[in-house]
Amino acid sequence: MIAVSLISLVDDDPSVRESLPLLLTQFGYTVRAFAAADEFLASDALNHTRCLILDVAMPGMSGPELQQELAPREMRIPIIFISAQSDETLRSELLARGAVDFLLKPFRDTALLEAVRKALRKS
Amino acid sequence: MNASLDIKESPLACGFGVAYVGAMIGGLIQQGRPLPDLLSTLCRLFDAAAEGYCSSILLFDRTRTRIRHVVGPGLPYGYRGHLEGLHMRRAEAACDRARNQPEVVISQVISEMLREGESEPDLARACGLRSCRSWPIFSSTGDLLGILAIYQRETVCHPFHPALVQQLTDIASIAIDRTRNEEALRRSEALLAKAQRLSSTGSFSWRPATNEMTWSEELFRIFAFEPADTITFEQMLSRVHPEDISLFCALVEHARRDGRELDCEHRLLTPAPAVKYVHLVAHGTRDQDGQLEYIGAIQDVTQRYLSEQALDKLRSELAHVSRVTSLGALTASIAHEVSQPLLGVVTNASTCLRILTIDSPDLGIACEAARLAIRDGQRASEVIARLRALFSKRSATCELVDLNEATRDVIALLSGELQRRGAILRPDLSKDLPAVVGDRVQLQQVILNLLMNAAEAMTGVDDRPRTLTIRTETNAGGCVLSVQDAGVGIKPQDAARLFDAFYTTKTGGMGIGLSVSNSIIEGHGGRLWAEANAGPGATFSFSIPRASNDAPDHCYPRPDRTFLQAECSLANSQ
Repeated sequence: MIAVSLISLVDDDPSVRESLPLLLTQFGYTVRAFAAADEFLASDALNHTRCLILDVAMPGMSGPELQQELAPREMRIPIIFISAQSDETLRSELLARGAVDFLLKPFRDTALLEAVRKALRKS
Repeated sequence: MNASLDIKESPLACGFGVAYVGAMIGGLIQQGRPLPDLLSTLCRLFDAAAEGYCSSILLFDRTRTRIRHVVGPGLPYGYRGHLEGLHMRRAEAACDRARNQPEVVISQVISEMLREGESEPDLARACGLRSCRSWPIFSSTGDLLGILAIYQRETVCHPFHPALVQQLTDIASIAIDRTRNEEALRRSEALLAKAQRLSSTGSFSWRPATNEMTWSEELFRIFAFEPADTITFEQMLSRVHPEDISLFCALVEHARRDGRELDCEHRLLTPAPAVKYVHLVAHGTRDQDGQLEYIGAIQDVTQRYLSEQALDKLRSELAHVSRVTSLGALTASIAHEVSQPLLGVVTNASTCLRILTIDSPDLGIACEAARLAIRDGQRASEVIARLRALFSKRSATCELVDLNEATRDVIALLSGELQRRGAILRPDLSKDLPAVVGDRVQLQQVILNLLMNAAEAMTGVDDRPRTLTIRTETNAGGCVLSVQDAGVGIKPQDAARLFDAFYTTKTGGMGIGLSVSNSIIEGHGGRLWAEANAGPGATFSFSIPRASNDAPDHCYPRPDRTFLQAECSLANSQ
């Protein structure tokens, strides 16, 4: 059985891949973490993900590139971008392309939870 | 030849007592009497022996074109003045004739000279001189030294014994020769003393068997002793810097045993009080009895050492400025590096708190969250520690450095930045790399600089992967580290000036990165170079000698260390 509210996380940083799922599971979400965009694309989670928490800068395919990759597909996955670098231009660009939020690391748990709820409502 | 000449009574005539006259003139030379005095004495002896004649000796100047000095105690004063400064072109011709035909001793040198000017023969006559005959005086090596001229004062005179002339020219020749040799010796000694003074170099000889030493005047000055005839070994040791004395003595003992070449730098502590830095070189030889004697020189290199230190300090400061400049360029990536673990800390702490505040909390998960928070906190502090190690102001050190490890640390700091620039880093680090000796931070600065340059060179590249390879390998002399990019490459017109300070092809660069890197690598006894790749891009590499058992000859910048460098060479030879 796959939970309806599957949240996928793509981030190359192990701290992030460990801490965020631990937090989100406390709120009853099912979370799967991936270290790279192509790992996510190749997994079965792709079709069940209701919310994607996506790092901007990663080796290989970047977060925004993954967003572009997903855009033509039928199933629109709401995306929450997370980034350690503040970039207003990129932020506006990504939001304009449909991203739910753009959170600057390190962010508060409440900010993330709010964004996740918003995303799930959207999906 | 008869009694009226009275030469038999004169010292010259006593069996033509060359030995006597020679000894007398020799004695005068020993006393340091000036040459004109000696020759005057000689002329007086002749004049006393040959009645009716007066002798004079004309000395030439160095160019042998003019008469420098006229000695003739019996010559009328006015006439003698006329001869001085006389040009002797013709005299030389006459003397050359005499030289070519040694048996023709008598030449009419002065007479020929006198014909040059109108007034002299008249003047000679006015002074009561009837005629003049002259003989060249040659040195033992056949150089023309002067002329012996004998004037006849009376109309009728008894002839003097021709051998008298031969004796006179012989003794004059010896006197002139010896005086000139002594003069040359004195000049050479004065020159040497001056050269020693100018170069701050003193010379010495030392017999290890008896510790007997002779020092040049300059050496007394360097050691801050009053010049004296003798100097003892203990006196010398009393000036060697207390921190260098044990190594100095070890070196001396070694020299005593095997007579090897000495070459060391050490310090002196003089009563001024002042620390002096000196460089000693000495060569051991054996005399006929097989006794060892060292001949050596000690140069005061204090000024050079101090300016080298000042220069090193400046270089070190420039290197720091350059590091801080790159820190500025790295701000974004460093923020990234710190933000990741900070997010972990904040999130895990929040999770922990949430679990603990609900009813019947799962303490196992709370503990796990707290554990992760601590680990992430440590990760963040490691980033800070790496930054601090690389960018804080510090003096250079000399240690064994594992280039691979140093490289990994730089990569850890730069990975965010490289990623941001879209560079794909491929580390290719040799598994069995020997350690090198040097300053870890400075070497890391070079690695950082090369990586940043490589990433920048690929900024505009979109038609190929921005691959960046960092490689370490071993070569014959030591280790080589190279950074290969796929960027714009090096333009031929830039190649020659790449490593010059303030030369840059980048819009934002100051142009000190490569120049500083170059001096760091040179300071480590290595070499930094750039090559164009077969494909696109360039490769920058440096090589550094492997750490040997020797203590390093030099580090960049010169680290604080005992100035005495003999330690390593001693250790090697034992």
